[in-house]
Amino acid sequence: MTVAAGIGYALLALGPSLSLFIAVISKKPFLILTVLSSTLVWLMSLIAISAVWRAFLPLKTTAWWPYGILILSSVVFQEGLRILFWRVYKRLEDVLDAFADRVSKPRLFLTDKMQIALAGGLGHGVAHAVFFCLSLLTPAFGPATYYVEKCSQIPFFLVSAVIALGFVTIHTFTMVIAFNGYAEKNIVDQLFAPIVHLVAGMLTLINLASGGCIVGIPLLYFMAALTLMHCGKMVQRRLTQNQSRQ
Amino acid sequence: MEGSILESIGLEIIGVMSPVSICMLLVVLLVYSLSAPSSSAPIRTAANLVYLESPSDSATQKLEGALLNALVFVVFIALVTFLLVLLYYYNFTNFLKNYTRFSAFFVLGTMGGSIFLSLIQHFSIPIDSITCFVLLLNFTVVGVLSVFSGAVPIFLRQAYMVALGIIVAAWFTKLPEWTTWVLLVALAVYDLVAVLAPGGPLKILVELASSRDEELPALVYEARPTVSRNVGSGGSSLGLLVGGVSDSNSVELQDLSRNNQNRNQGSVENRECAAIEIENSRHHEVAIGSEEVETSPLVPNVQARLSSSSGSSEFSVVDTASDRNRQYGHVQSEIVVDEERFPLVERLGLDNEREPAGRDGFETSESTSRGFDRGNLRPVGAGDVGCGWYRLFFEISKLIQHYNSNGGCCGQLLLKYLNMLCGNIFSQLAGPQAHSDIKMGFNLWSDHCRIIVKHIGV
Repeated sequence: MTVAAGIGYALLALGPSLSLFIAVISKKPFLILTVLSSTLVWLMSLIAISAVWRAFLPLKTTAWWPYGILILSSVVFQEGLRILFWRVYKRLEDVLDAFADRVSKPRLFLTDKMQIALAGGLGHGVAHAVFFCLSLLTPAFGPATYYVEKCSQIPFFLVSAVIALGFVTIHTFTMVIAFNGYAEKNIVDQLFAPIVHLVAGMLTLINLASGGCIVGIPLLYFMAALTLMHCGKMVQRRLTQNQSRQ
Repeated sequence: MEGSILESIGLEIIGVMSPVSICMLLVVLLVYSLSAPSSSAPIRTAANLVYLESPSDSATQKLEGALLNALVFVVFIALVTFLLVLLYYYNFTNFLKNYTRFSAFFVLGTMGGSIFLSLIQHFSIPIDSITCFVLLLNFTVVGVLSVFSGAVPIFLRQAYMVALGIIVAAWFTKLPEWTTWVLLVALAVYDLVAVLAPGGPLKILVELASSRDEELPALVYEARPTVSRNVGSGGSSLGLLVGGVSDSNSVELQDLSRNNQNRNQGSVENRECAAIEIENSRHHEVAIGSEEVETSPLVPNVQARLSSSSGSSEFSVVDTASDRNRQYGHVQSEIVVDEERFPLVERLGLDNEREPAGRDGFETSESTSRGFDRGNLRPVGAGDVGCGWYRLFFEISKLIQHYNSNGGCCGQLLLKYLNMLCGNIFSQLAGPQAHSDIKMGFNLWSDHCRIIVKHIGV
């Protein structure tokens, strides 16, 4: 529905990440590089998953459980990749600290580490939004719109944008939680990210049912809100701990 | 708190990557939105001199033709680059610069103009030809100016470089398909060879330019930061003091950039803070520790000294007299502060602390109080401004001092003039409505001048 609607859908999915980018990430060049590399990593993981699943696609079934298996396997793979990401980050942190010692500047602060985690998560989220929403948006710039019968109240593009926004939030902040969990060896935080990711993925299966998006999308946003709250509490706790320690 | 390394790592990479990404994004948008019908007759350009590709040829024919095209193009570019190097070697630099300006004008005007025209046609923008012509002319002329003049803000120059890149890239998309792909690979390989290989023309050019210490006479994108990262910077050629307003708690010692050290550096990048040293009883030079401006350890230091003894804590600006001596090569004149102390210093009761510094070839440390209230030692916060100016003129006068002993009457005249000038300025500043601190600064300045004048014998 015209260029304005197309831009509107794009901003709906990516607006918060754009403001996060401009406000936090664009100030520090290293974070921009982190966003780009994590985007690349996420896309590569998608390529790997789709290479594996290519033999079975397209799924010619009306049952929902093959999609469930698809989502399960993808989430498991991506969470494994998150652990790998963490290992690489640990090594990078050592390199950065050594560099900081060499140029006699302070080592990475806690806020720096959290910002790197945020940038990593944002890269994942942006990749998801671009891949699952923006790539479908091209027809939205034309003169008409499109409705799906199973979710006929709102245009398809709007649904996909809204779902993408939920996932962007989840990806961004679960990365912060997960990195903190790995750093502090906190089991709850470590398991929080995979569980939330899996649940959110499975919740989208509800959209397969007729009229399901009315239930599925609010539940997805409930998960996103849960992630936000947990991340906020964790960050606050860490920062006050750090403050009191200093 | 010092900035973490996260703020500075990767700056150069991003500085290069962001214009490239912006250029690519805009080219994609431009080509996508224009998406001209490709059925127009293929134009013969330098890139398809040999083989004019048409969709009906077979694949091998197209490949051969494309390879031939790419070869011819690369050979052509290599020849022209060698010609450029030759001209630069024989110092035809002016010709090269003018040619660069002409080519920028040409590209922006004609190729940019044709892109503008197609945009106007495609989006049916209601604009008349005269306005369009004027706009295009403005755009082109500002582009040429930004390329060769140094007075244009660097951001504008960078923007025009990106615009040039966009225009040339958009032109390249008009080529037929196979030729485009093969040309891309061929140009990438040629660039690698030209820049890295020992006989490459671009490498020779860069080496020549750096050995002569000049700028390349070419359209070069400079990935400098466009916004100065210093707070409150205003780099002037003298490296003026930035007298900041501080609150009464933090006695900030703002930048004291010394003229002699920072003469070549216009920016305020290396600010040095005069360390506060009480010492003036030693005969050897006291070095100034240069500290970061926002170092808070300095503040408690100062205040501790303030509270320790009423009379003994004063701030002296200690010269690196050694630097001056080394630079000017003579040590004859100095300002003796022994007999003739600052009136302010006397009032603070520092007589017993001073030792006479002999007239034997080095400067004693100057002691200037930093805008202290005459009665008590409360540091005057907003007096930095006045004292900043004061310190500036103080430095100037010392410079003139040195020159004076060589330059004779010249320096004396200059000093007289300076005294008059500052007197005028400060008398306005020190008028009844002036801030009391500026008045104090002026008073200090005039005291000091009196001392100088007396010793020069003007």
